[in-house]
Amino acid sequence: MKFLCIACDQAMKIQQAAPPDEGGSISALFGCPSCGHQIAMLTNPYETQLVQSLGVKIGPNTNSPAAGVPARGVTAAMATPTPGSISEAAEAGGCPFSGMLAQMEQAPKDGVQWTPEALARLDNIPEFVRPMAKQGIEHYAKTNGRHTIDDALMEEARGRFGM
Amino acid sequence: MKTYHEIQGDGGSDVVAQVQEQQSKIRDALSGVRHLLAVGSGKGGVGKSTVTMALARALRRQGRSVAILDGDINGPCQARLAGLEASPWIPGPRGLQMPRSQEGIGVVSFGSLLPEARPVEFSSVATGEEQTWRATREFAMLGQLLGGVDWGTLDVLLFDLPPGTERTLQFAHFLGEGTAFVLVTIPSDLSRGVVARSISALADSGQRLLGYVENMAGYYCRDCGEVKPLFPESKTELPIPLLGRLPFEPALAHTGGGEAEATVSDEVEALATKILESLEPKEN
Repeated sequence: MKFLCIACDQAMKIQQAAPPDEGGSISALFGCPSCGHQIAMLTNPYETQLVQSLGVKIGPNTNSPAAGVPARGVTAAMATPTPGSISEAAEAGGCPFSGMLAQMEQAPKDGVQWTPEALARLDNIPEFVRPMAKQGIEHYAKTNGRHTIDDALMEEARGRFGM
Repeated sequence: MKTYHEIQGDGGSDVVAQVQEQQSKIRDALSGVRHLLAVGSGKGGVGKSTVTMALARALRRQGRSVAILDGDINGPCQARLAGLEASPWIPGPRGLQMPRSQEGIGVVSFGSLLPEARPVEFSSVATGEEQTWRATREFAMLGQLLGGVDWGTLDVLLFDLPPGTERTLQFAHFLGEGTAFVLVTIPSDLSRGVVARSISALADSGQRLLGYVENMAGYYCRDCGEVKPLFPESKTELPIPLLGRLPFEPALAHTGGGEAEATVSDEVEALATKILESLEPKEN
């Protein structure tokens, strides 16, 4: 979808995008680079769902890791989770394991900590499986009496499961 | 006034480039895979998953590096067949590490993540229209998996397809022309009729169809030592080569747990060899 400023015959650029509201509508602000005229694009839930289903982002600079990702389901499926953000993905509903994760979240964490290097590894895998991968490794750590998840522990788990 | 195609880009989101990037990631991830082989049918309950695993085992025993992607998101069986129900998915330096069975078969199956009693659930902001988006979301997820797993170097990556003629065709479009297809049927007229429909759909899509496998093609009678039929002879002709007939194997009912010594029958060995010959025709 593209927007054209008729007065300037110029393609408008996206300037801001906000997550969907309670009714499932994305708000995106477009402006004309020539005259500055602005318009807002407001999607209906079906249009929002189309974006979510394709697994793409809407917003300026979508190549940036911190790009605007207006659709909540897209956030779940595509955005980089921050430490302890499993419930964010689950809540958003883009993760097919959300129901199970919600239950697992209620279990005590037993103080398992992730090193930054180990967390960075999560960036290498599909975003919708990160919450489950995270839970799986935490379970492995806990059952082996470990409190820190680092590269060494992940390598150990890889070896343990023959990967 | 400018028209749509006279305007470069889409104003900043660059959705087309995002989709292309996803496709590029898939190409990169599969660059070390020699053969993509989809095992489908159209009909459910004919043994696609067990045939897929049996083939993988036979190929592995022939010294091939093999992995399976369980394309049946809603009824994943491969994790159980490989004994990997509780195997975590671990991120590695180049993507998700494949859980491996004792025999060394890489298996990526949602069955490793989801308990069998739990369905895969998606929510939708378009209330009441979840079914409309389901296939799109599933294929988007499969695309992310294909591009996000560290497949490494493989001789054959097998895809265990879900049932449904339309699903088989959707996978054909999703996987592209580089993927060869094997269809599984049982000898019943009912099953062969559905498979005939899949063949027709796939032929129209230009997909490479190696042939079909007749599964449960009789049972071994211990009393007389012969293989006897389980179904009346079918009159439905299938216009692709018959690659092999696999008799009903009661031992398969106990399959699971990924036993390293799981039996691979002579028929499966022969089937694997025939498929490999189709994938790798010898040059004269």
